[in-house]
Amino acid sequence: NAVPTGGMEEVAVSTRGGGGTRRMKWALELSLGNTRSRGDRQSSQGDTLYPIGYSDKPVPDTSVQEADRNLVEKRCWDVALGPLKQIPMNLFIMYMSGNTISIFPIMMVCMMAWRPIQALMSLSATFKLLESSSQQWLQGIVYLIGNLLGSALAIYKCQSMGLLPTHSSDWLAFIEPPQRMEIMGGGMVL
Amino acid sequence: MANLRTCLAFLFLCCSLCDAVYEDQVGKFDWRQQYVGKVLFAHFESHSQASKKLILATDKNIVASLNPRTGDLFWRQVDKAGPEGHIDTLLFHGQDAVVVTGNGRLLRSWESSVGALNWEMLLDPGSFLAAVLVGTQDSVKFVAVLKKATVSLHYLSNGHQKWTETLPDSDTVHYQAVYSSGGSQLFVLGVVPHSHLSIITFNIEDGEITSQCNSAVCFSSEVLVIQARCTVVGQGVLICADASTLSLYMLPLSSEEPVGLQQSLDLDLALGFQPVLLTTQPNPARPPLAQFFLQLGPDHHVLLQLSDGHLSPLRDFQPAFLVSFATTGEKTVAAVLSPKNETACSVSLYSADSGRRLLDTTVTIHLDPNGGKPEKLYVHAFLKKDDSVGYRVLVQTEDHTITFLQQPGRIVWTREEALADVVTMEMVDLPLTGTQAELEGEFGKKADGLAAMVLKRLSSQLILLQAWIAHLWKLFYDARKPRSQVKNEVTIETLARDEFNLQKMMVMVTASGKLFGIDSKSGMVLWKHYLRNVQPNAVFKLMVQRTTAHFPHPPQCTLLIKDKETGLAALHVFNPIFGKKSHVTPPTLSRPVLQSLLLPLMDQDYSKVLLLIDDEYKVTAFPSTKNVLQQLQEMASAIYFFLVDASQGKLSGFRLRKDLSTELIWEVVIPPEVQKIVAVKGKRANEHVHSQGRVMGDRSVLYKYLNPNLLAVVTESVDTHQERSFVGVFLIDGVTGRIIHEAVQRKARGPIHLVHSENWVVYEYWNAKSRRNEFSVLELFEGTELYNSTVFSSLDRPHLPQVLQQSYIFPSSISTMEATLTEKGITSRHLLVGLPSGAILSLPKMFLDPRRPEMATEQSREENLIPYAPEMPIRTEWFINYNQSVTRVRGIYTAPSGLESTCLVVAYGLDIFQTRVYPSKQFDVLKDDYDYVLISSVLFGLFFATMISKRLAQVKLLNRAWR
Repeated sequence: NAVPTGGMEEVAVSTRGGGGTRRMKWALELSLGNTRSRGDRQSSQGDTLYPIGYSDKPVPDTSVQEADRNLVEKRCWDVALGPLKQIPMNLFIMYMSGNTISIFPIMMVCMMAWRPIQALMSLSATFKLLESSSQQWLQGIVYLIGNLLGSALAIYKCQSMGLLPTHSSDWLAFIEPPQRMEIMGGGMVL
Repeated sequence: MANLRTCLAFLFLCCSLCDAVYEDQVGKFDWRQQYVGKVLFAHFESHSQASKKLILATDKNIVASLNPRTGDLFWRQVDKAGPEGHIDTLLFHGQDAVVVTGNGRLLRSWESSVGALNWEMLLDPGSFLAAVLVGTQDSVKFVAVLKKATVSLHYLSNGHQKWTETLPDSDTVHYQAVYSSGGSQLFVLGVVPHSHLSIITFNIEDGEITSQCNSAVCFSSEVLVIQARCTVVGQGVLICADASTLSLYMLPLSSEEPVGLQQSLDLDLALGFQPVLLTTQPNPARPPLAQFFLQLGPDHHVLLQLSDGHLSPLRDFQPAFLVSFATTGEKTVAAVLSPKNETACSVSLYSADSGRRLLDTTVTIHLDPNGGKPEKLYVHAFLKKDDSVGYRVLVQTEDHTITFLQQPGRIVWTREEALADVVTMEMVDLPLTGTQAELEGEFGKKADGLAAMVLKRLSSQLILLQAWIAHLWKLFYDARKPRSQVKNEVTIETLARDEFNLQKMMVMVTASGKLFGIDSKSGMVLWKHYLRNVQPNAVFKLMVQRTTAHFPHPPQCTLLIKDKETGLAALHVFNPIFGKKSHVTPPTLSRPVLQSLLLPLMDQDYSKVLLLIDDEYKVTAFPSTKNVLQQLQEMASAIYFFLVDASQGKLSGFRLRKDLSTELIWEVVIPPEVQKIVAVKGKRANEHVHSQGRVMGDRSVLYKYLNPNLLAVVTESVDTHQERSFVGVFLIDGVTGRIIHEAVQRKARGPIHLVHSENWVVYEYWNAKSRRNEFSVLELFEGTELYNSTVFSSLDRPHLPQVLQQSYIFPSSISTMEATLTEKGITSRHLLVGLPSGAILSLPKMFLDPRRPEMATEQSREENLIPYAPEMPIRTEWFINYNQSVTRVRGIYTAPSGLESTCLVVAYGLDIFQTRVYPSKQFDVLKDDYDYVLISSVLFGLFFATMISKRLAQVKLLNRAWR
């Protein structure tokens, strides 16, 4: 058992000795295929030098085909239906987070409200994305509806959490004290 | 289970409300001053050199001991208020202060060093006449108490009665004095008006009447037409002064056959003045001195001597206001207070034996020009090392100030005992400092060019900066000094409003007619002003006409003083900050004034208009400039006032006409033969209500009925029988006279304490059936709809409010009650309840809420309503004055401060206590123990860490780019 440990130690020592060898400040390599540590990067590229612009990977065929068009259509529908697909998930989160006002439900609601709003704000960019599709308008409307539904859900959540100023009590603080029409005073006869 | 839950909720609420004072906060925001009242009797304890004390008995039924060096109280024993505890006399011997209280009801002996009760004896019934210490064989052993029909002798050591004897012919003879001179006899002197003197001699050992003498023979009857003033002088010689014949009568008591002598003195008596005799008996076991004072006029005294049955004047003192004898060792001296000039008096000592003036014994007393004249003089004489007589004097002036002076006129201390009887008070904001006022003034002025404005702005900012640097420097300078040396001297010159307006001027009006200006932070009296010729039963009403907000106009307070006898009133207008009488001349009021009314109208000098209603229901305005009269004419139809005549049970409402006459518009009569009106309370004029309604559990609003003209009238039944007595509460609109609500509490009795604020009325009464104190709260709501949210007019409110009421049991009786008040009315309200124990309880209004449900529901929990519990708790953490009891608390005054969370409270009674309360805790102030060092070091640390890491990140990026 003691022997291999000793061997290991020897190895470690030798490596340290190798690291300790003096490095040159700079070196000009004229020959190829040198196995020195400095030339590791070059050696990984292979032994041969390729001309500029040469790539050893094959270049894909970029010409549009019929199958790709279907793919684009599908991809666009994915984008358009994205917000609608979020809704069941949101509903589940809503249900889970409850109606108490604490940091987590608030964060959830904020996220839920923020995402559709953000999407609605960058509507033109999304439309540009859908430009290539033939059912561009339908997809756009579906996308819009999805986002509107998402924000409606967020508003509903706010409402159920009592964050919307929909009750008279929410405006109570803004009621000014009424002006007094009569001045009155007096008291017990002194 | 539900019960347990409600209990838990309740406990939780209670815990969250706990707000007691921390140990290190004691005395930081609060102070208490203890008073004793007007001194009736004073004695100096002088038997031992080490423990010198001043024993006092006062008109507030207090026996107290003062430290003569500082004027602080050593101890104070407070008896019942009123005639039951009235101190009839105070006798002092050795370590015992013997007191007769309650018109001869009790005889008590107090131990003078610690104020412990030695003994107490219940005396036989009968009105008290006189008490005297009786000594035999050079030691004082007994106290003799003379009552209308009896005389009794008690042991001084334990109070036990040695004997009691009935006096003969007590229905015809007016006994007035009891006297002993160290022998075995006790003399009781009496007068039969228009007839003769009666002298009865008792044997001290067994109370046997040894002789009874009717001295009809000696004194001619016309001498005794008026009750003669008699005292005993020298070796048992009775001296009586008679005003009609200008002569003195002498009668030796001890001789077998008394022969009266008459000696007329060629002294002139002041007109209509009853001569007064003043003698001294330094030791009760020895006969009195042969020298005595005879007062012949308000400022005329004569020192007389009796020798060999002959009276001879020793010295004539004129002018001399007050005289007094003092004894030290074997020497007896006479002290005479005589006026020096307008503002000073001097006290000199004279040898009692010869009437010679003692050298270097003059004490000059400088009288406060705003104070009263000296009224009483108590002298404490002592022997100096060189055997000459030194002395200290205690002078009491008309304004109940007691001053202790020592030679040669140095004031050792002064006590303002008038403050033991504060009648009413106001708190006034302090003025801004010069620089602050400068800044304020800048905005008020008209613009005079852009460049000039900029320059002015810059210069004022520079002044502010300068002031700030000076302040910082002072802070730094003070920080180096030990804490004890740093004194924050408050003087009238350095008074300035602080950042949060927490320091105010307390203007206090006392029953004696003395006004005080007290700094609310330190409790120091900054000014005082004595109003002479104020009748003792006068009624005061203090009003702030102009606050300090109208620089450069000085603030102005007006005190209405009404004499109860004549009904005539006078106005005293003064500056509440400096106490000086204002140069504004108040109107002369020729007719009795019934009430006053401070209008929110202002004249061109920003002083509010005060209306005074006289007994012909005519109105006088003050100030009454043209501007004011014009405004009044415009506003007249909107000005209403009400008068309550408790004796006739009549409430009447009046409206002002344009010509300043009035017309009666309503009248409510509460039959005085059934019930009497005990209290009428409106709302405070400076009260703000932030929230116009209450949020319910379902998030709808229940709007409060905030009628500013609402009056709460409380009546008590005349019949006080337990079964038939009742308490009535009426809510009446003061403009229309409409009775909004009436409630009758059957089997209830007063005294009733009432607080009326916002939309609620809280009152406390005695439930005669269950024999307990109860609180009842009335709350008024308009409903879920507001009738008119912009204006409130009592003339246009067709719907009656919903009234909710709930009652609670309170475990203690109460002395007074007031509600907290804050600047904007956002902070929740507390009730401040003064208890007879001297504690002041801060009771959250939350507990007095008629909407408290019997069973907690989801909605009520949402509303934070505590489930109803009939018992109201008293928690010791709610005592805002921890152990600083306020004895006989009579009133609590609350004032808002600049901080919304903070309310300033002053409780006054026998003591004065000032503190701050935070009903919703200090939500707008950093905590006292806020760790500024930690927070700032963390901030700075983070800041530097960001800087360093930014630099490091830059270096790292650069390095990576180089790679």
